[in-house]
Amino acid sequence: MNRFELTAAPVDLAAQREALKHPGSGGFCAFEGWVRNNNEGREVSGLEYEAYTELAIAEGERVLAEATERYGVLAASAVHRVGNLAIGDLAVWIGVSAPHRDEAFRACRYIIDEIKHRLPIWKKEHYLEGDHAWVACSHTERAHEMEPPHAHGHHHHPHAVVPAKAGTQCRQAVTRESLDPSVRWGDEQKGFAPDYSRQVRLREVGEDGQRKLANARVLVIGAGGLGVPVISYLAGAGVGTLGIVDGDVLDASNLHRQVMYDARDIGQRKVDLAARRVARLNPSVEVVTYEQPLHAGDITDVFAGYDLVVECTDDLASRYLANDAAVLTSTPLVLASVYQYEGQLQVVTAEPGEPCLRCLWPDPPAPALAGSCVESGVLGPVPGVLGTMQAMEALKLLLGLPQPADHALQLVNLLDGTSQRLPIDASRGCALHGGCVAVARRALERTHAEGELERHFERLEEAVHAGYAIVDVREADEIDATPLHVTSLRVPSGEISAYALVHLERPVLLVCASGRRSAHAARLLREQGVDAWSLAGGIAALAPA
Amino acid sequence: MTRVTLQYYAQLREQAGASSEQVNTAASTLRDLYAELQARHGFSLPIDALKVAVNTQFSDWNRLLSEGDTVVFIPPVAGG
Repeated sequence: MNRFELTAAPVDLAAQREALKHPGSGGFCAFEGWVRNNNEGREVSGLEYEAYTELAIAEGERVLAEATERYGVLAASAVHRVGNLAIGDLAVWIGVSAPHRDEAFRACRYIIDEIKHRLPIWKKEHYLEGDHAWVACSHTERAHEMEPPHAHGHHHHPHAVVPAKAGTQCRQAVTRESLDPSVRWGDEQKGFAPDYSRQVRLREVGEDGQRKLANARVLVIGAGGLGVPVISYLAGAGVGTLGIVDGDVLDASNLHRQVMYDARDIGQRKVDLAARRVARLNPSVEVVTYEQPLHAGDITDVFAGYDLVVECTDDLASRYLANDAAVLTSTPLVLASVYQYEGQLQVVTAEPGEPCLRCLWPDPPAPALAGSCVESGVLGPVPGVLGTMQAMEALKLLLGLPQPADHALQLVNLLDGTSQRLPIDASRGCALHGGCVAVARRALERTHAEGELERHFERLEEAVHAGYAIVDVREADEIDATPLHVTSLRVPSGEISAYALVHLERPVLLVCASGRRSAHAARLLREQGVDAWSLAGGIAALAPA
Repeated sequence: MTRVTLQYYAQLREQAGASSEQVNTAASTLRDLYAELQARHGFSLPIDALKVAVNTQFSDWNRLLSEGDTVVFIPPVAGG
């Protein structure tokens, strides 16, 4: 009797073992997979498994049936955990009972190899450094593929005749091999193997282009209105690694334009939702998530790990920060922004002599002047169109497709259907102030000095959603005059100490009228080991209620 | 008087109530033209927050207007 289970609860090993007892059994073999504290050189603090349940169970049952036939075992079962697991937890259990030990050993090995290889189960690794990565749990080495024909050879499943492919040299190649339709889901699940034939057929793409995409690493900053089409198209096209940065959770008001999310996802972190969506759209894509906005202290290190960055936030400060980091790390950057029924698009190639964002607008205007989707409104397809254009620009850069010789700001008005390219003259931009690199370096240093204690929020609810405990450091009379509309702890700045906050166990966002007292208090608390931040600009900088 | 075609984007389009218009202006430079329009349409954006393009080329605000110019005012936008 065979049984494959997915479970969110710990596995009852004694019961599992008992169920495999059979009077004809002369050997029993079990394998346990545990969560270890490192992977590929990174320290792991825990992980989370997510499965496409129906398919995982169906495929798991098939693996058990194959093992039974192939090795002539009497009973086999397997349990795979889903959900959150800690170091040392049992992640997968395989048990096989057979007349003799040899079949039991071999069948056990076959089952774990095939489960790792074929089941639609993804794990999200939590690293000690605080970031995450979604990893498809597929391996390629399968011992039975090297085996000589077995005594039960007449039962050979088609899997067994697929020759082991030697010499795969990089991670992407390994992943692609694991998705070869002949070894993955079987005929009825062909839809799960990526088929890039429609784009490979393009003369300018071809197999070479597809390889370039598979080897590419692209960072998408913002998984909202612009980011949704960017992430979707780049994942669909088979970009090897997608980094996704977003500090927000999904709000009901996002759904009219962020169409890869579901109504039932409201309240969940967008990076997790986006990673899950990519895993389902194209399991061969590796996703790395960053659930805090990048800041001046870490952005160049992050950019250095990518070939291309696509900026998709609705935040001017983020766009300028990305521009500076792109210029300093020579990483091409695709920028877009939208307003109501129109949008702007600019590609910063980050090559010497070619214009950047600051060549056009040297400094970000005050946030109130730039408008946002919250204040000005936006029709859903507008970021859809501009994000799709960003995805197109990203693919053009990655594939080396033909491009206009000049660099332009592109304006798109979807109400009257017009679009115009305005060439940017680099010699009239940063070149007048020492060049893009010098300008970017100065700007990044300035942002770093200002920002290392600050967090920007338009509404305090966003900070609460992002996991901050709000601490109001104003005096009682100020609080009475302008109360906050979120739950907050009140500790006047003169009385602030780590002791007063010790029970919070969360990052603390300090709030005052202008951001000065809170910055000072944050500095003090940092020295006492508190994860303290100051609301940039104070209450004055919040959007009007 | 110089006859020019104007195109507005984003907040300027909203405040002007149209994405383009033709005007006869006494202004000699782009800077004067924007000041005139600011008074007429109540544009809230200061000139240094904008880019301007004439006949599909970015331009200096001190450029002199010519008959038949197409002038585009472009504010930065932040939405995503």
